[in-house]
Amino acid sequence: MMWAAKRIGTSLVLVWLVITLVFLAIHLVPGDPAELLLSQGGAAPDADSVALLHEQLGLDRPLIEQYLGNLSGLARGDLGQSMQDQAPVAESIADRLPRTLELIAAAAIVALGIGIPLGTAAAARPGGWLDRIGTALAALLLSLPVFVLGTLLVLVFAQTLHWLPAGGYVALAANPVRHLQLLAMPASTIAAGLAAVTYRITRGAVADVRQRDYVRTARAKGVAPARIMRRHVLRNALIPVATVIGLQLGGLLGGTVLVEYVFNYPGLSGLLIDTVSARDYPMVEGIVLVISVLFVGLNLLLDLLYGVLDPRVRQA
Amino acid sequence: MTIRRRALIAGSVALPFLRVPARAAGTPGQLVFGLSSYPPNFNPWVQAGTAAGTVTLQVHRGLMSYAPDGTLRGELAATWARLGDTGWVFTLRDATFHNGGTVTSADVKYSIEQVSAPKSTAYMRAQFQGVDRIETPHPLTVLIVMKEPTETLPLWLAAFEMPVVAAGSAEAGKTPIGCGPFTITKQERGVSIDLAANPNFYKPGLPKLKTLRFVVYADETARVAALQTGDVDLIEYVPWQSMAGIEADPKLRLQNTEGPFMYLTFNGATGPFKDPKVRLAVAHAIKRDEIVKSVFYGRGAALAGPPLVESSPFYDKTLAEGWAYDPAKAKALLADAGLGGGFNCTLLATAQYSMHKDTAEIVQQNLAAIGIQVELALPDWATRISLGNRGQYQFAVNGTTADSNDPDGLSALVDSTLGPAAARSFDFKDDSIAKALAAGRAEFDPAKRGAIYTELQRLILAQTPIVSLAWRAQGYAMAAGVKGFTNMPGALTFFSGTTLEETTLG
Repeated sequence: MMWAAKRIGTSLVLVWLVITLVFLAIHLVPGDPAELLLSQGGAAPDADSVALLHEQLGLDRPLIEQYLGNLSGLARGDLGQSMQDQAPVAESIADRLPRTLELIAAAAIVALGIGIPLGTAAAARPGGWLDRIGTALAALLLSLPVFVLGTLLVLVFAQTLHWLPAGGYVALAANPVRHLQLLAMPASTIAAGLAAVTYRITRGAVADVRQRDYVRTARAKGVAPARIMRRHVLRNALIPVATVIGLQLGGLLGGTVLVEYVFNYPGLSGLLIDTVSARDYPMVEGIVLVISVLFVGLNLLLDLLYGVLDPRVRQA
Repeated sequence: MTIRRRALIAGSVALPFLRVPARAAGTPGQLVFGLSSYPPNFNPWVQAGTAAGTVTLQVHRGLMSYAPDGTLRGELAATWARLGDTGWVFTLRDATFHNGGTVTSADVKYSIEQVSAPKSTAYMRAQFQGVDRIETPHPLTVLIVMKEPTETLPLWLAAFEMPVVAAGSAEAGKTPIGCGPFTITKQERGVSIDLAANPNFYKPGLPKLKTLRFVVYADETARVAALQTGDVDLIEYVPWQSMAGIEADPKLRLQNTEGPFMYLTFNGATGPFKDPKVRLAVAHAIKRDEIVKSVFYGRGAALAGPPLVESSPFYDKTLAEGWAYDPAKAKALLADAGLGGGFNCTLLATAQYSMHKDTAEIVQQNLAAIGIQVELALPDWATRISLGNRGQYQFAVNGTTADSNDPDGLSALVDSTLGPAAARSFDFKDDSIAKALAAGRAEFDPAKRGAIYTELQRLILAQTPIVSLAWRAQGYAMAAGVKGFTNMPGALTFFSGTTLEETTLG
């Protein structure tokens, strides 16, 4: 119990550190949200207007006062308002986060559905034709930048074959078929690299476990090969696969920006980049906070689970 | 009913490939417009970018506007005339706001007062500081009295940042009520804005469209692809590299105008560019055709004089080539300035926009030929603006559009009395240009005004507060069935959204 409380405490400190670092970083880099807002379209704002907007946005207050104000808002569950249009930050994140989570989930389903079976099959016959083709394909997919693959998909499936729309977003409730059509290409683009990683990790892990003594023993006892694979090999081999895929998916929370741009998909990553460019401090801080809480929360959950599964972790 | 696993997998795989008969665009009367960005806000009097301007023009209208050919016309004003030296009288046409209220002179007064208010951050605030008083002798008559004679007031009132909203509707927490041809019915932040025709619009028979949908495509390649696949009917900011492909496609049309332009600004406080001879040397050292060819794929034109469009009545052909490429003259000017051996300096641009970075690279190469060794500083856009406003640079690449096709539209770029801004040279001390601009603004006689603006162009060429580089083509592309949309000429290209009221989709 004490161990769990310590882990939760550490996680809270981590989140506070992230909030503080992001606050300092975004405020200390050059760039002024008021100047940017008033310089749209190459406009030349006068200094008085900039000063007035500073005052209206609360940017004329000392940095420490702004920081404490932010922390106090967060403690009350208030992420503040966008400096661009005064929309609540929480509302914008609530709009965008589910879209990104859906994109990542769709990509993960495709990637795991392809990577795990292919990796397992390739490991069953190392050096076989499937192994050779799979390894070459995985290398190709890993070396292909997502914006190149995305652009190719648009060229083939939207502009040439006219099977899918080039990009955009429609809510599931508004038009389910179009929603899925619009999800297909961005999810496939992310899935390609993820499937390649899954394939390689699965192949390596399965090949390794297949050499273990307990597998040889099971084989000697006459257990059916399919049962050995399912109960003895995969169960153990998928632990490192789950760890790696978990980290990859966590990284995608803020890392789908290129795919979002290519397919005009309005997710959280694109919003983060846009708001960093606009120096929209409350939006940047809010988005990073949510991403870090999700990431830290995921890690905390895994740590707690490891602790439950393996008593040695708790004692350590 | 049981679903077999294979059937489920097959269905899932096939789902994305189902053709949907109703496409997003191409429905008669319902136009889908691919915007380059989502408006950061809908504050009617703030310059929030060109995409925001296009949307604002659908919801809001002002006293004056521009016809598709670029001529000034009354919008809410049925007539307008001078009264004495400093007064302008406007009579309003019969128009109603989206809430059904009549547009009156009190609404005009309220709107202008919001712009000129002490706490205003409106784009036209500086201009409207010149208002002495506004009188409303009749609900449909408004008298604007300026502190000085102001010939350009109707032009200022035609800016899309000068809409008239219902009195009291722009207070904090409220949504300003406009009287434009469309009303916003739905918004999805960052994604789309849906509008429906205003049935009570004051121009009979307009707008011709029933609905208008703005969908944001921030990536230019995605925007073009959306037009080519029929997801949208009309796009703005057509990338130059895609223009040839669009022109070759019989299903699409491209409309270009040369209004926006690239130019250099200088730090007049410190460093070598304090000296007008050095700035002039730079002006004569640039091979502008290289910029047009390399940066804009040939879609533009060299600009070797004050950035005044050819269609302007004040355009002077003899002055338009005043900074023509002449490396010998450039070297002589450097020698004259005591820098015959050349010097090292830094050019500020941004890596965030390729047209800025690519222009900077060509300037760097051209200046090396006359002995000026240029190092490039390419921070992100936010940093670049910040450094520009604070004068933390030696010289810088800029891109913009004049406020109008009138020479007064160049004020924001060359008027040294307006204070520091990234869009104009920093701490530029000569005020002869500002005086010429003020004289042109106060002169009503067209012939005398012409003479003032000829002198203004001469002063710009001599003092070199900026160095013009190249006009860049600003393009709108549309499906062949889109009629009535006009890319307005020159600096008015970003007012083209006005013509959506006349646009049809067959």
